[in-house]
Amino acid sequence: MKSSQTSDPQLSNVTVGGASRPPRLNFGHWLGVIPFFVFSGLFLIAPTLILAYRSLEGANGGLTLENYQQLVSDTVISAYAMSIKISLTTAILGGLIGFLIAWVVSMGGLPPRFRLITTTFSGVAANFAGVPLASAYVFTLGRVGLVTALFKMFGVELYKNGFSLYSFLGLILVYLYFQIPLMVLTILPALDGLKREWREAAENLGATPVQYWSRVAFPVLMPSILGTMILLFGNSFGAHATAYALTGGLFNLATLLIGQQISGDVLHNPGLGYAVAMGMVIIMAFSILIYSILQRRSERWLK
Amino acid sequence: MMPSPVSTAVAVKPSATRKRLGSWLIFSAVSLYFLIPLGATFYWSLRGQKDVLGFEAYRKLFADTNFLPAFSESIVNAVATIFISLLIVVPTAYWVTLRLPKLRPVVEFITLLPFVIPGIVLVFGIIRLYSRPPLLLTATYDSSRILLICVYVALSFPYMFRSVDNGLRAIDVRTLTEAAQSLGANWTTILFKVIFPNLRVALLSGALLTFAIVIGELTIALYMAQHTLGPYMANLTRSKVYEPSAMAIVAFAITWAAMGIIDFVGRGSSKHLQMADTE
Amino acid sequence: MSYLSISHVTKQFGNTVVVDDFNLEIEKGEFVSFLGPSGCGKTTTLRMVAGFEIPTSGKILLDGADITDKAPNQRNVGMIFQSYALFPNMTVAQNIAFGLSVRKESREMITQRVDEMINLINLEKHATKYPYQLSGGQQQRVSLARALAIHPQVLLLDEPLSALDAKIRVSLRAEIRAIQKKLGITAIFVTHDQEEALSISDRIVVMNVGVMEQVGTPFEVYNFPTTVFSANFVGSLNNASAEVVNPASGFISIDGVQFESAVDLTQRKSGDKVRVAIRPERLSFASEQKKANVVDATIENITFLGSVVRIRVKIGGTKFNMDTFNNPFLDLPKIGAVEQITCSREAVLVLDE
Repeated sequence: MKSSQTSDPQLSNVTVGGASRPPRLNFGHWLGVIPFFVFSGLFLIAPTLILAYRSLEGANGGLTLENYQQLVSDTVISAYAMSIKISLTTAILGGLIGFLIAWVVSMGGLPPRFRLITTTFSGVAANFAGVPLASAYVFTLGRVGLVTALFKMFGVELYKNGFSLYSFLGLILVYLYFQIPLMVLTILPALDGLKREWREAAENLGATPVQYWSRVAFPVLMPSILGTMILLFGNSFGAHATAYALTGGLFNLATLLIGQQISGDVLHNPGLGYAVAMGMVIIMAFSILIYSILQRRSERWLK
Repeated sequence: MMPSPVSTAVAVKPSATRKRLGSWLIFSAVSLYFLIPLGATFYWSLRGQKDVLGFEAYRKLFADTNFLPAFSESIVNAVATIFISLLIVVPTAYWVTLRLPKLRPVVEFITLLPFVIPGIVLVFGIIRLYSRPPLLLTATYDSSRILLICVYVALSFPYMFRSVDNGLRAIDVRTLTEAAQSLGANWTTILFKVIFPNLRVALLSGALLTFAIVIGELTIALYMAQHTLGPYMANLTRSKVYEPSAMAIVAFAITWAAMGIIDFVGRGSSKHLQMADTE
Repeated sequence: MSYLSISHVTKQFGNTVVVDDFNLEIEKGEFVSFLGPSGCGKTTTLRMVAGFEIPTSGKILLDGADITDKAPNQRNVGMIFQSYALFPNMTVAQNIAFGLSVRKESREMITQRVDEMINLINLEKHATKYPYQLSGGQQQRVSLARALAIHPQVLLLDEPLSALDAKIRVSLRAEIRAIQKKLGITAIFVTHDQEEALSISDRIVVMNVGVMEQVGTPFEVYNFPTTVFSANFVGSLNNASAEVVNPASGFISIDGVQFESAVDLTQRKSGDKVRVAIRPERLSFASEQKKANVVDATIENITFLGSVVRIRVKIGGTKFNMDTFNNPFLDLPKIGAVEQITCSREAVLVLDE
């Protein structure tokens, strides 16, 4: 019932709209959508295009790829590398832990109430990034944080053993706070899409639970899991506020580098700054593209 | 067809008990990860006064002369964003569903853009585009503020569009519109008396989600030199000791309230729809 | 000893008894249908044979072995689901091969068996397609092939046709029956559709609220229902409360109008309340030579149903449906006319009130 409702309107619209009215481009027809395109054009597309244009502009005018060639400079490479390292790590860890939690609350035998608590909390935590999250971690694992103090009580000095909240490891811990919930929220519907009959059919045909998971459930879920991990990658790759609040904007991260470039030309080359920004857009566009392809496949299977 | 809980057949097996134990273990461990930072922050927020646990940090926060202006400015920005965004997105979603289905892929593509363009990149472009002639929009604080709201509106499109679109799909807007038309209603009547009331839940969740995102937004406001809550909070963490903890708890409570309301009204409406289904 | 024996099987969910003391002996190669409305326990019984539910009490024996508590993946029974339950990540051939490959059969054996099965269901052209590329009917045929590939001892079909279009439903049920006969496999078929059960089965078990109402061949169940429920559920039926007038001669009275029944009433007393059931097609306009059960009836309404014309008549105070075959020369009475109506003594079924 539901599925026919969601898929049908589009089809019927095409035929009904096309058949009953001659194709005239009535202004009133477009009136409803024009503000949308104007806003998107002025405040999303144009700003990006200007960066794209500037990134292709040479120091002495004319179009060139010079700026992109300079992306290999040490500062830029190391910022990108750190961004990618953090994003990959939190995408994989967040993906695995998020999947585990989603599995536990949907089919792990916990009372149904826990699923509700988990989804509501995930909605909150996934949107709790930024300054407050950074503060919360400072009070927990900062130099005088509560957990740091607790460790000290038991004789372990975290900060003398190489740990720092303002490092790779620290950022991972903080980012997971919004990465895991995002995974939970996106993967739960996919888990719900696993039909009980598939498990029963597999059992009925002689499969053990392990065989069912390895041959049916995991392969069916794979596009969703991979797709969501890519989404997590992008989510972390483009994150700025949390890292800024935690490190004061001085950590070597692609987003923070762009921030510094806006405030003052730290790269001593405006064109390179634009190229760094566009490089991020390209990486993000690429990951979103893969995500939508995988998502489409998974929808086809799980509908 | 029969109410046949799957667990009954499995419950007797010891493997099921083991599974449940594992589930509890995983759930508890991850819960700790999520609760400890909140607990620690809350603990700190109660220590604003030396040697006494109390709400001194909150009192100081609210007494800060910069807090309330920043907070109220963010609220006004958020409300303005929601209002403009609704005015733009509802007709767009409605038109795309009903009159211009061919535009759907384009609109859906555009609503993906805020995920593709990181906030920091967007504000970079905004500044480069609008902070110099001929398009000097950042000349005064107020013009910058209007520009900021416009950017927020564009950023809210994905959340708003998805909410409204789901809402429209759930009520089969085509049939409702045709039914209303056949009963003699005109377009404004249809929109305000038929479509909007049926979309209440969808509009509310889109609005609250936007609110949760805009209220503490840092990146764009920071580089546009706006005195909103995000930059205020970032500054607070650097200048004060206990107030940031109180601030984080307040921010968490706001997010929780927004998400809680979405959940609550969403559940109410899905129950409503289910009942209508079975009848 | 029969091939599949379900004895004294009861299933409770909490305090609700879903299946109550179910007893059935099924012979090898037999096609048995469980027929009943939703919630009657037919699917739960089937799921107990498959091992997805464990009976609260009772025993299930398959070919002499007790399988009551055996895990589903140890049973070797094939199951067909209403929703097809094909694995979406596998092609038709991979789906059919699944049961064999989890049993670690040799590659040659699997290929050969899969080919055999694909031929059996006539889907040679679709072997490498994915389920979402197939129609519902094709998907259900694949699921049949998948279940049969493992040489199951029993084939269980849980409303396999309910999700399909009317035309496919009829053709696929004939195909299922033909394949079942060809392979000589024992089958249990769960359905709520009486026409389906009547057309496909060797025997039918009519079920209602967890209880077996009647077990018999389609002929017996249709013509000689033993309970009011079974009479009502299978086919359409006129039924009315009546009173025994003369147990020895088989006379009963419906609202003052006397009918003669061939049913043995000698166990009952005069004045006993009973329920009388008459199939609509057993009623007809009286011709000269008919003597028994000729009554006056007022024509109330005539409905054209295609091959059949249904005439609503009032006999005494009771309304009856009368079905008569349609033909172009049919001489239908006028509404409001009073006609003589008759039925044979055998058509008047007497059941407990």
